Amino acid sequence: MGKLYGFVFYLGGVYCFYIQLIAFKMLNSATETSLRKIIHCDCDCFFAAIEMRDDPLLRGRPMAVGGSSDKRGVISTCNYEARAYGVHSAMATAHAKKLCPDLLVVPHNMAKYRLAAQQIRDIFYDYTDAVEPVSLDEAYLDVSASSACQGSATLIAKEIMARVHAEVGITLSAGVAGNKFLAKIGSDWNKPNGLCVILPQQVADFVVELPVAKINGVGKVTAEKLQRLGVQRCGDLQAYTVFELVELFGAFGQRLYKLCRGEDDRPVKVSRQRKSLSVEHTYPEDKDSLSQCLQQLPALFAQLNQRLEGLEGSYLVTKQFVKFKFSDFQTTTVECVVAGSIRLSVYHDLFQQAFERGAGLGVRLLGLGVRFQVSHDSYGEQLPLFPYDLTLHG
Amino acid sequence: MKFVISRDALLKPLNLVAGVVERRHTLPILSNVMLVLEGNQLSITGTDLEVELVGRVALEQMPAAGGEITVPARKLADICKSLPDGSDIEFTVADDRVTVRAGRSRFSLSAIAAADFPNVEQSPGSQQFVVKQGDLKRLIDRTSFAMAQQDVRYYLNGMLWEVNAGHLRMVATDGHRLAMCTLEAPIDAAEQMQVILPRKGVIELSRLLINEDQEVEVVIGSNHIRATTADFTFTSKLVDGKFPDYDRVLPKQSTKAIFGSRDDLRQAFSRTAILSNEKYRGVRLLLSDGSLKIIANNPEQEEAEEIVNVDYAGEALEIGFNVSYLLDVLAVLSGDTVKLSLSDANSSALLEESEQGDSRYVVMPMRL
Repeated sequence: MGKLYGFVFYLGGVYCFYIQLIAFKMLNSATETSLRKIIHCDCDCFFAAIEMRDDPLLRGRPMAVGGSSDKRGVISTCNYEARAYGVHSAMATAHAKKLCPDLLVVPHNMAKYRLAAQQIRDIFYDYTDAVEPVSLDEAYLDVSASSACQGSATLIAKEIMARVHAEVGITLSAGVAGNKFLAKIGSDWNKPNGLCVILPQQVADFVVELPVAKINGVGKVTAEKLQRLGVQRCGDLQAYTVFELVELFGAFGQRLYKLCRGEDDRPVKVSRQRKSLSVEHTYPEDKDSLSQCLQQLPALFAQLNQRLEGLEGSYLVTKQFVKFKFSDFQTTTVECVVAGSIRLSVYHDLFQQAFERGAGLGVRLLGLGVRFQVSHDSYGEQLPLFPYDLTLHG
Repeated sequence: MKFVISRDALLKPLNLVAGVVERRHTLPILSNVMLVLEGNQLSITGTDLEVELVGRVALEQMPAAGGEITVPARKLADICKSLPDGSDIEFTVADDRVTVRAGRSRFSLSAIAAADFPNVEQSPGSQQFVVKQGDLKRLIDRTSFAMAQQDVRYYLNGMLWEVNAGHLRMVATDGHRLAMCTLEAPIDAAEQMQVILPRKGVIELSRLLINEDQEVEVVIGSNHIRATTADFTFTSKLVDGKFPDYDRVLPKQSTKAIFGSRDDLRQAFSRTAILSNEKYRGVRLLLSDGSLKIIANNPEQEEAEEIVNVDYAGEALEIGFNVSYLLDVLAVLSGDTVKLSLSDANSSALLEESEQGDSRYVVMPMRL
């Protein structure tokens, strides 16, 4: 840094300020990315797992989900019993049956898979808003700012795995690391139903041994080329300068240079459509009167407004609601339909109605919220052209 | 090295070659174009290591000696563009400087030796064919809009070229819609070949195909493709990946066939698009005997409605689409009539000029 500033002072005023600004920004983004905690979740043989969950006869034997062999169908997903025979996704069903004559192929039931995927996604959203779904059965979570599980990404991953098993009835594997690249490798490391945590201090040793074929984007041709160069592991690749890699692999060379060192600063791209937004507070002492509750309203309202501003008007508010938790731990929610921006007077009325429901009980928690127009009604959902391929290449 | 060239002869190839050059790069030399002088032929080369483009132009005045050097691409192109029409430009190379003179203007540009300029690696060609530039351009223009942009499925950020004996087919898809166009051409091919051209390569190649009636020679190798015209040689790396099986998503048994005026439909869709959601662009199509009603709503609760007469008799259907996807197709189709084939609200639509047309477009609906 010192060197750069020395150079900067040599230049004129405005320009100097500009460069300082860039330097500051670089520093800033560097600290932002170095502290990230990313989880990559990947369901184990998703379609097959759902079918096995719903039909015990499919368990403990080789089975697959896909198109039937007489219609030139292709395997989408198969279970681990079938994989032992060499069956894999994207294989022609007719060929798969040759490898494994006992293979039972069941047709797709996309509606069912979509429902399960939604349930799993809802579990993710309990831990962070920063969820980037890659396909139905795969997503990246940025839990850097999450306070769940004392902020431990490892514990969050464990809890997600347990909850998906209990609530959806299938298993998923998770990778925890400081970036998307390593998290994705982690989720594949101990599959199925496995967890792999790559701590920042382990990254250097981990990547040295990592086979280059594990890098996303290294396909057959690139892998063969690397093989010819005698490069098998990322450690071998580290011997090359960025210039050499760019010469050899074009634009991808720059990325390879970073990846083989375990570096990847791609952000988790959030695509969530919120259904609601709320703020709430539990008080050390119960509020025993309506006026005591109303005293808290302006602060909560300001907090809610601040959160709404963060969304930059990308959502349309359709309802305002309040949530009360009484001293007996019973919870009640009162809501009303509104249009346009939120109003304090509406919450005032809702507080009154909610307090009356307690029939004299003290209130330990107060919450304010809004519901948004559900995207399905207003915007619609674009259907994919290759629903099966999403899992094939995931 | 010293030579004189007219501004008008230099400008076109220089602009096209400079278009390949990235503004910022890890390697400073990649911001440069290489000028090579052999006899009275000047070749200009630009590369981003994925795509390489060589433009050739003949000098009117025979220079004293040949040579090679590299200079900043953007700056040189900007200088030539802003010089007056009809100027003669003189280039003089001395040490690490290139001096550009025209009339009373003089520019001294920093140069890097041509020896450091990288080549796009060549692999032996395994498939070769010659077609008219206009035919190749038509294939690209009819499909390139459907290519994905920065998709994690990197093999979609490009275009599939499928070479078979007697025909060349191009397919592009972003996972929501697909465009496909086929050219009958005298191609010898023992077996089918499928390669994926990167998005940038497709766009740059299309710009070179300016002389419709002249030929272009295409050579495809295991990891590169090269196209040569009289004035240019274009080389691009291929994308290392597997393109999805497009045949599986072509609707084959649509239950409803609708014929309508392409222009009427295009205008009705562009008007309804105004009041569709800016981000999601959903419109509802209500199909009934003889007419298609198109409705759009936006979050401000505004509404647009259009009714277009169509040639259709059968059961009614309500189906949603991203209006941009439909407009993209209607913009590249020609002919008065368009055929739209549908089945139900969750199945893809097929758009064609007619069954005999060379192009087919598949659009997945939106659930509205």
